Amino acid sequence: MPRSTTSAAAVERKRSAPVPLGTLFIAFLKVSLYGVGGGGGLVWSRRIAVDQRRWITEQDFADIVSLCQFLPGPNIVGIAVCVGAKLRGAVGAIAAVAGFLVIPWTIGFALGLLFLEHAHHPVLQNIVGGVSSAAAGLLIATGIRMLLPHRGRPAALLLAALAFGLMGFGSLPLLVVLVGLVPLSISAAGFQSARAR
Amino acid sequence: MNSPSAPIALTAHLIVLSSISFGGFPTVLPDVRNFVVATHGWVTDQEFANFFAIAQSIPGPNMILMMSFVGWKVWGFPGAVASAFATFGPPCAMYFGAYRVWDRFRNAPWQRIVRLGLVPVTMGLVIASGTVMARAADAGWRAAAVTIAAAAITLTTRLNPLWLLLAGGALGGLGLL
Repeated sequence: MPRSTTSAAAVERKRSAPVPLGTLFIAFLKVSLYGVGGGGGLVWSRRIAVDQRRWITEQDFADIVSLCQFLPGPNIVGIAVCVGAKLRGAVGAIAAVAGFLVIPWTIGFALGLLFLEHAHHPVLQNIVGGVSSAAAGLLIATGIRMLLPHRGRPAALLLAALAFGLMGFGSLPLLVVLVGLVPLSISAAGFQSARAR
Repeated sequence: MNSPSAPIALTAHLIVLSSISFGGFPTVLPDVRNFVVATHGWVTDQEFANFFAIAQSIPGPNMILMMSFVGWKVWGFPGAVASAFATFGPPCAMYFGAYRVWDRFRNAPWQRIVRLGLVPVTMGLVIASGTVMARAADAGWRAAAVTIAAAAITLTTRLNPLWLLLAGGALGGLGLL
């Protein structure tokens, strides 16, 4: 490489340089290990991929989360697949999923077998309870933060509130809520953008 | 544990369930319980409950771990690995395919509208699952205050969330919640 390239070109090349597979692996290893309790992976994958590494935009991340909600399976693994695929294609997806699963699964499986021997120690249960309370707060905050870009659209806020109410307090199956609200929500968005044109 | 076909039956059943587990694996847990506890008796009810509690409190892929404990009970370590793959393999292929399609139509006008419609509903659901978790975890007003404080601090500061989880665990361990 000649050293005479302009700095702008160098910056451009650096920006378009592919994310190393090892970096992807480590990032999703962190997401996996930090994410205690249900939904923890969402909190940490957003923090690492959007806030810290700036690999993807807030909007792209919200898209990926929505896409994953619609497909079967563990949604957080879906986030790893999509972020990996966006950055590096199929190998990126494999690196991200491997980072998310291999080491945490091995540690978790060993720890779990150990825990199963001493399942009902009270202090252990109190600690787990306190962590869960804080983890619930983190999940709520992450949802609110991703809703903020839509705060100017009353229809969007109304539908978010409906989804929240039906799922959080109506105890309806997720599929019912999605099938009921999504066509409404997409129609509202379509109507709004047709009027804006 | 019983017949030599038990691990194959379990793995095949998990492959089917993971392929239809819309809304995440917890939605098919009742079916898994029926299959391994009621129908086949590979796992007792108490063991199933313990697997769930432990998988929830260990960092990492909770539901995949839980199914691995079930597989381990049926066929030892190979059963654990087979159950893990059956739980995440088929959904991974679907995620990848769906993302490729979504990405190909990135600039289509319909995609902007679908996005504007989808995201608010999804985020309402995320906030709802946070409150459902909070109701399960928060036994009293002090635990609820921890949840609210954690949410408020996350929204207003750039503090690393690990500190909040540590603080929650410490308060719980000292018996203050």
